[in-house]
Amino acid sequence: MISYLTLVTDKVKKHFQKVMRQEEVSEIWFEYEGTPLKWHYPIGLLFDLHASNTALPWSITVHFKNFPEKDLLHCHSKDVIEAHFMACIKEADALKHKSQVINEMQKKDHKQLWMGLQNDKFEQFWAINRKLMEYPPEDSGFRYIPFRIYQAATERPFIQKLFRPIASGGQLHTLGDLLKDVCPSAITPEDGEMKTQVMIHGIEPMLETPIQWLSEHMSYPDNFLHISIIPQPTD
Amino acid sequence: MKDFADGYLSKTHFQVTNRNVPPDLKEKNKDNIEQMLFMHVEESLDDSQVDGVCATAEVIRYEYHVLYSNSYQVPVLYFRACFLDGRPLTLDEIWKSVHACYQARLLEGPWDTITQQEHPLLGQPFFVLHPCRTNEFMSSVLITSQKENRCTNYITSWLSIVGPVVGLNLSLSYAKLASEQMLI
Repeated sequence: MISYLTLVTDKVKKHFQKVMRQEEVSEIWFEYEGTPLKWHYPIGLLFDLHASNTALPWSITVHFKNFPEKDLLHCHSKDVIEAHFMACIKEADALKHKSQVINEMQKKDHKQLWMGLQNDKFEQFWAINRKLMEYPPEDSGFRYIPFRIYQAATERPFIQKLFRPIASGGQLHTLGDLLKDVCPSAITPEDGEMKTQVMIHGIEPMLETPIQWLSEHMSYPDNFLHISIIPQPTD
Repeated sequence: MKDFADGYLSKTHFQVTNRNVPPDLKEKNKDNIEQMLFMHVEESLDDSQVDGVCATAEVIRYEYHVLYSNSYQVPVLYFRACFLDGRPLTLDEIWKSVHACYQARLLEGPWDTITQQEHPLLGQPFFVLHPCRTNEFMSSVLITSQKENRCTNYITSWLSIVGPVVGLNLSLSYAKLASEQMLI
C-alpha cells in the first residue's frame, strides 16, 4: 500500500500480454469505476480516496489501450517512477530541512532509498530514511511539515501549504490545527453532524495528535503525509 | 516575492515550424493577487487566424503557466504542447524541440531538467522545468542588479533565463517596463 501501481504490476502486465496481440499492447494504465488511477500516487492513498468503504481485495480494471492523455502521467519505465519518488523526497526535505539533509547525502544513499522501496526492504530503506526524520537538538521539530490533503471530485488535485509543526509559544501543533488552518471544511460539522472523515493509511488519527509526530511516524516512504478527506460511510 | 499560491500566469503561443507567431498573453489569477508586469503585446493572433497559416506547416500550440513553489520558494514554469488536432507532444518530442543551443547543456548534467508532472491546481499532466537550482542562478542576477542600482522584476529576469529553453521568448518591452515601474 505504500508503493506505486506501476512498480508492483509487472506480473499483471505479463499475464495479460500473454493473451493479447503485440500490436494491441501499448502503455498499461489502471482505472476504478470510471476514474483513471494516478500511478504517481501511493496505492494506499488511492484506496483511501476512492474505495476505503469497500472490502479488500480492491478490484481495479487494467487497460492497454486508449491511454487517457489528459488525466494520467506517462510511465514508460521504472526510471520515471524512481525520478518521481526521489523528487517527492527532495521536496519533503526542502520543507523539513531546507534540503540540507538530502543534499549532504551521497548518490548511493539516494539509491538505497529507492532500492529499499522497490525491493520492499524495510531495514535498507530506514537506514537512510531515519536521517530525514531527524532535526537539530535546539529545535523541537521540522521547519515545515510535508503534507498534501486530497478530496475526491475536486478540480484541484490536493492542498499543500506551508505549515509549521511548532507554534511561536513552543506548543506542538496538532492535526486539528493543521486542518483548521488549511482545510477547515474537513472538520466543520454540517447540521450538527460530521459529513467527512480524515484518513491517513486507512485509519482516522485523533485530531489531537501532534503533527510533528504524524510526520515522523505516518508519512509514506516519499516522506509526505498524504491525508484524504472522504465522505462518512453510510451503513 | 509575494506568495500567489492560488493563481497562475498563463500564456498561449502558436509556433509554426521555425517561425514564432506573436503571443497572446492572458493573466489568469484566481485570487486577487498583486499585479505582475506582464502586459498585452500589441500584435496578437487569435485562434481563427492560425488556420490560414498552417496549410502546409506543422502548428504546435504551447501553453505556459508560471506558478510559485512554496516548497522551494521560487517560481516554476509549467507548460504543455499539442498539435492542432489535439494530440499532445511526448516527452521525447519536447526534448527535441528544445532549442539546439541548449541541447548540449541540457544533456550534460543539466541545471534544470524537464519532466512530466501533475499541475498542482488543474490536476492535468504538464511538463515542468525543475526548480531545484533556480536560487543559484537568480541570486547572481539579483546581486548584480543591486550593485548597479537597477530595478529588477524577479519574474521577468527569471523567465528570460528559463523561458527560452522551452521556446518561451520574452520581448524586450518587458525589460523596459521593469525599469519604468516600481519593483513589487
